[in-house]
Amino acid sequence: MAKFNNDQVSGAIWIAVGSAVALGSVRYGLGPLESPGTGFLPFLAGCAIALLALIGLIQATLKRCKGTGWTPILRGVLWQKPLLVMAALFAYALLMKPLGFLLCTVLFIGFLLRAVEPQRWSVVIVGAIGTALGAFAIFNVWLKTQLPPGPWGF
Amino acid sequence: MDYIQSIILGFQVALQWNNLLFCFIGVLLGTLVGVLPGLGPVAAISLLLPTTFHMTPVSAIIMLAGIYYGAMYGGSTTSILVNIPGEAASVVTCLDGYQMARKGRAGPALGIAAFGSFIAGTLGVVGLMLIAPPLAEMGLKCGPPEYFSLRIMGLTILTFLASGPMWKALLMAAFGLFLGSIGLDGMTASARFTMDIVELSDGVGMVPAVMGLFGIAEVLLNVEQSIKRSVFETKIHHLLPTLQDWKDSIWAIIRGTFIGFFLGVLPGGGAVISSFVSYAVEKKVSKTPEKFGTGMIQGVAGPEAANNAATAGAFIPLLTLGIPANSVMAILLGAMMVHGMQPGPMLVQEQPGLFWGAVTSMYIGNVMLLILNLPLIGLWVRILKVPYPILFPLILLFCLIGAYSLNNSVIEVLIMVGFGLLGYLFKKFEYEAAPLILALVLGPMLEAALRRSLLLSAGSPMIFVTRPISGVLMLISFLLLAYPLVPWLRRKRAIIPQVSDEG
Repeated sequence: MAKFNNDQVSGAIWIAVGSAVALGSVRYGLGPLESPGTGFLPFLAGCAIALLALIGLIQATLKRCKGTGWTPILRGVLWQKPLLVMAALFAYALLMKPLGFLLCTVLFIGFLLRAVEPQRWSVVIVGAIGTALGAFAIFNVWLKTQLPPGPWGF
Repeated sequence: MDYIQSIILGFQVALQWNNLLFCFIGVLLGTLVGVLPGLGPVAAISLLLPTTFHMTPVSAIIMLAGIYYGAMYGGSTTSILVNIPGEAASVVTCLDGYQMARKGRAGPALGIAAFGSFIAGTLGVVGLMLIAPPLAEMGLKCGPPEYFSLRIMGLTILTFLASGPMWKALLMAAFGLFLGSIGLDGMTASARFTMDIVELSDGVGMVPAVMGLFGIAEVLLNVEQSIKRSVFETKIHHLLPTLQDWKDSIWAIIRGTFIGFFLGVLPGGGAVISSFVSYAVEKKVSKTPEKFGTGMIQGVAGPEAANNAATAGAFIPLLTLGIPANSVMAILLGAMMVHGMQPGPMLVQEQPGLFWGAVTSMYIGNVMLLILNLPLIGLWVRILKVPYPILFPLILLFCLIGAYSLNNSVIEVLIMVGFGLLGYLFKKFEYEAAPLILALVLGPMLEAALRRSLLLSAGSPMIFVTRPISGVLMLISFLLLAYPLVPWLRRKRAIIPQVSDEG
């Protein structure tokens, strides 16, 4: 990775994304210019992404030649914490229907309070249950949002 | 006479008890959002958008607008007392506001910020009332080519003002256009890039995208650093500025109002830029510029007035032409469309009650904010002391519920979480998300205008340059794109501050 700098890496990824978008758009039909087809705008957008990324890649390569190297994006930060938060978010999204809103929220808040910046257990338990019940009262009861009930009916 | 009738109609709508209540809730929540670092108006409006689905459109817009200008008021409190800007537009208030607090003058700093914001917000609304209707009339004369060029210009200005290399900002706008094209084609109704996911037929939702890119990503960036906030421990007294304070700051407030209002009108301008410009102007006109940064009251009054006037100015292109001037306005545009409204030149004529009701509610909101801000500062300070490890799970839960309640769908939640991860990576690789959001919102309208124009011209793209208004707009866009090629202008652009949240 140290061979390349950040903009070279991101530029290369964007070229791939832009090319994929442009190629994917072709199958929707570009149409003639007097009556553009479904794929016309995304095709233009894909080409623009790839072209701009190519410009960025060339600029970044010139900078690399002058010595601008890779800047570690996770140095000096507690990268484990965003990772835990992301894991909790994905787990919440996948479990909110099977477990139901209340239980899932208690587990989610409890996990975040305890795992990311550990709080006392009393804070974790009261915080998790209180937040879940409060959110349920506001959104489900007051604002009539249909939150998933789960197998126990709540 | 027309104006007077319109204003009376506006007040009749805004003074209905439910609209007063939602205006109050909006400004209260907005102040809270402004006070809490790590939660900006963009994220807050996105979070609360689903809660407005049960309201009438006018109540919804009154509340969402209240959040925006309320956040501008609230943001100053954290800047002055904690030296952490509650939202991006208050960054510059830290410089002199915090120094005033350290010298035992937190009260006058908070007071002048509140009064300055009130004066500027009110004058800004007057400007909005005067300029919006004639501009809307002019907008009626525009056809698809003009609208296409106008939207291109909006995107170009926002990318021009974004921080970092221009290719990155333009790339984000192009990516936003692609994301905006996902879903059913507006003209042929055939599906594009939906991957057989039913939820994507309506397109990538603006709400999950914004909540992910701004709300979730902001939390991820905050938790990776241990934030330890210490509220300045001082007794806050004498909130009412002295006569000398008024003498020192009144011209700063007036200058800030004008700067904020006119920069707010420009697409891509907005509160952040105007607060920085106002600070620079105050420093320039001051007889003692070297004292700025040591607790000069003008350094608080000017920028605070500017960022509030800018919020009123930013409503003009949205309400009259359907062009959002910044990402908050882009979300409001989305919100209005969710409620079945089409902001643009027809809005003033077709729904005068809504237009004038929303505008006059801002007067009332400004009075509410003045009343809220001064006596409730003690409460805001106490809220500031809520530790971030307790706060961020609540922010995340709000995002999750907000995304789910859009369609009662887990897919929307996953889309939001995905955008959260993307937003985090964008920050790490220094890509700005604001052009993406604007392009995502404008994309479908821009595409329709482009295709209609090409139909009109039998495929000749020259239609965009041969029609006068469209040609001028295109020329402006071209000049903006060519700017970075001129070295000294490129240097000038590089000092424009990062527009992270507001626009």
